[in-house]
Amino acid sequence: MKNHAPANPLEILAYIISAQIKDNTIVYVGTGLPMVAGILARKTHAPNITMVYESGGQDPIQGGMPWSVGGPFTWRKSPVIMEMAYSFGQCYNGYVDIAFLGFAQVDMYGNVNTHMIGNDFHQPKARLTGSGGNNDLTSLSQNMVLVGLQTPEKFPEKVDFITSVGHLRGGNTRKEAGLPGNGPIAVISQCGVFDFEPKTKRMRVKTLHPGMTLDIAQMCTGFELLKPQGEIPLTPMPSSDIIEILRTEVDPGGVFTSLPQA
Amino acid sequence: MGVFDYSREALDNLKIDDPGILDRLVDFEHARAVHLKKDRSKRDKRISLKEAVAEFVQDGDVVLDTGFGYVRTCIQSHFEIMRQGKKDLQMIGAPNTNQSYMIVTGSVRYSHNSYTGAEMRGTDRNYTRQLKTGKVRILSEWSHGGIAQGLKAAQLGSPGVLSKQMLGSDIVKYNPYLKVIHNPLKKEPDPSLFIPALYPDVTFIHVQAADKFGNAYIYGPTVNDLAGAAASRKVIITAEEIVPEMDIRLNKKGSIIPFFYADAVVELPYGALPGSMPGYYYWPRQWWEKLMRFSAINEENIGTFLDEWVFGTKDQIEFLEKLGGAKWMIEARRQTKAAEGDNEDIDFSYQEYTVNNDPGIFY
Repeated sequence: MKNHAPANPLEILAYIISAQIKDNTIVYVGTGLPMVAGILARKTHAPNITMVYESGGQDPIQGGMPWSVGGPFTWRKSPVIMEMAYSFGQCYNGYVDIAFLGFAQVDMYGNVNTHMIGNDFHQPKARLTGSGGNNDLTSLSQNMVLVGLQTPEKFPEKVDFITSVGHLRGGNTRKEAGLPGNGPIAVISQCGVFDFEPKTKRMRVKTLHPGMTLDIAQMCTGFELLKPQGEIPLTPMPSSDIIEILRTEVDPGGVFTSLPQA
Repeated sequence: MGVFDYSREALDNLKIDDPGILDRLVDFEHARAVHLKKDRSKRDKRISLKEAVAEFVQDGDVVLDTGFGYVRTCIQSHFEIMRQGKKDLQMIGAPNTNQSYMIVTGSVRYSHNSYTGAEMRGTDRNYTRQLKTGKVRILSEWSHGGIAQGLKAAQLGSPGVLSKQMLGSDIVKYNPYLKVIHNPLKKEPDPSLFIPALYPDVTFIHVQAADKFGNAYIYGPTVNDLAGAAASRKVIITAEEIVPEMDIRLNKKGSIIPFFYADAVVELPYGALPGSMPGYYYWPRQWWEKLMRFSAINEENIGTFLDEWVFGTKDQIEFLEKLGGAKWMIEARRQTKAAEGDNEDIDFSYQEYTVNNDPGIFY
């Protein structure tokens, strides 16, 4: 039976992430929505992408949705599984075009925090996971896309701990710190898609999702968002065909794209 | 005074006034001396897990967490370390998810932290609490790739590597081992991060198959274990199955840890529980959800949980019985085979653990 319900916010997000992926590229993905987006891209506009994972799996033959980034679906029938050092080494050596990761906080220069909330390292309000591969991918990948919920707490002017350097203090400071790659090129949230103004490297509104206004986006942000010249375009929304593919072929169990039931 | 010139800023930020505690992890001369003294003979090294932990884990050792968080990770060996009341260990790993519950009983006292958590199961509130009450001290912060490179440097036989990871981040300010230097071959300044070779004291590695001498075969992601085995002073191989040496020589091409690294071999079927084991069993996913969403939230819950699952079981066989016994084994094998091969007809859905839905059997 066909499910004709309108796309929910997670499905829309998965589609927007997938739209960042170009065909014939190598894509480094974490679990969750980025992985859904990768598979959706492969089933729609980018059939020839290769997916790479931090636990070492790469180019798996698609199975179901993995429960963990080390789970069998990330290395299912893979021709090779890399050791972790070599997997990140491929990023440094220019074999990864785009990477997708989440964050607990992201600031106006795209610096990421997954370490702690609070200003005392020894007595944090909350201690979070630490870097994992977040720093490695943000440091090394040619293009980084950050995905997460937008609130003033999660989008502060300065992150509580710089786990991963985005554009550091803006301008040329990322390069001066010695880092390769373009750093974050986009931030995707429930409000819109953001990029970074080329000179200052400050976060800028690129598109807003239907129903969102600049005021709402600004209210969800702890710093002043830059605005593009002229009218702000709307984020393109998925067609019903794409939603159908998402529901029937990509995540039929709704593991990552169904909203939690109350 | 020690021989290492640690980053002053990081020592201050981490409030480390006894930097000698950092030495063992990077003491190449000592690790080499230990390796040189190892008995090279190709002998039957099989002992029990209890004997291996008693003999090879000393209080205060630097322990490497292996596998990938809860994939082919030596979790039953961690549990035995806790049962034997080993104290004040330093834990390193990428990830080092499993240090969290080991802090509760004092087995782990120090952390070389890269990632403590269980992905989408939520933030580990136990770790936050242990940190605030001072039951664990962070000795260094790392990215996964940084630890991977440090272990790989040891395997390469190098004092360290120059890395482009972690530059400019606060991780460098909270890691006494890291130094920003410039690539000496470049005319222009080129900041690069020196990561020293890392030498853990003791490493348990759970593998699919090993012979009695310690040649150990890994199927699925090896993650950092080939490097960790080469670096570590003491290596204990635990294996789902013990196989003849000829089976390794003829059939197990691929990822092999050579026998002369191994100090002991333990036949330990289901030794990765409650993690998954490629080729053998899928996760008891609800176990992790219960740990993260219920047991980790306060001191009483985590105590009860550990009493039940760690101290209330004497070995992995009793642990397996508690998970669901034969019924669990059959389903877990079916799921992992399907996930690795052809899953078209297998349903991976399950009911997530919630406080109101404690299933009693843990798929």
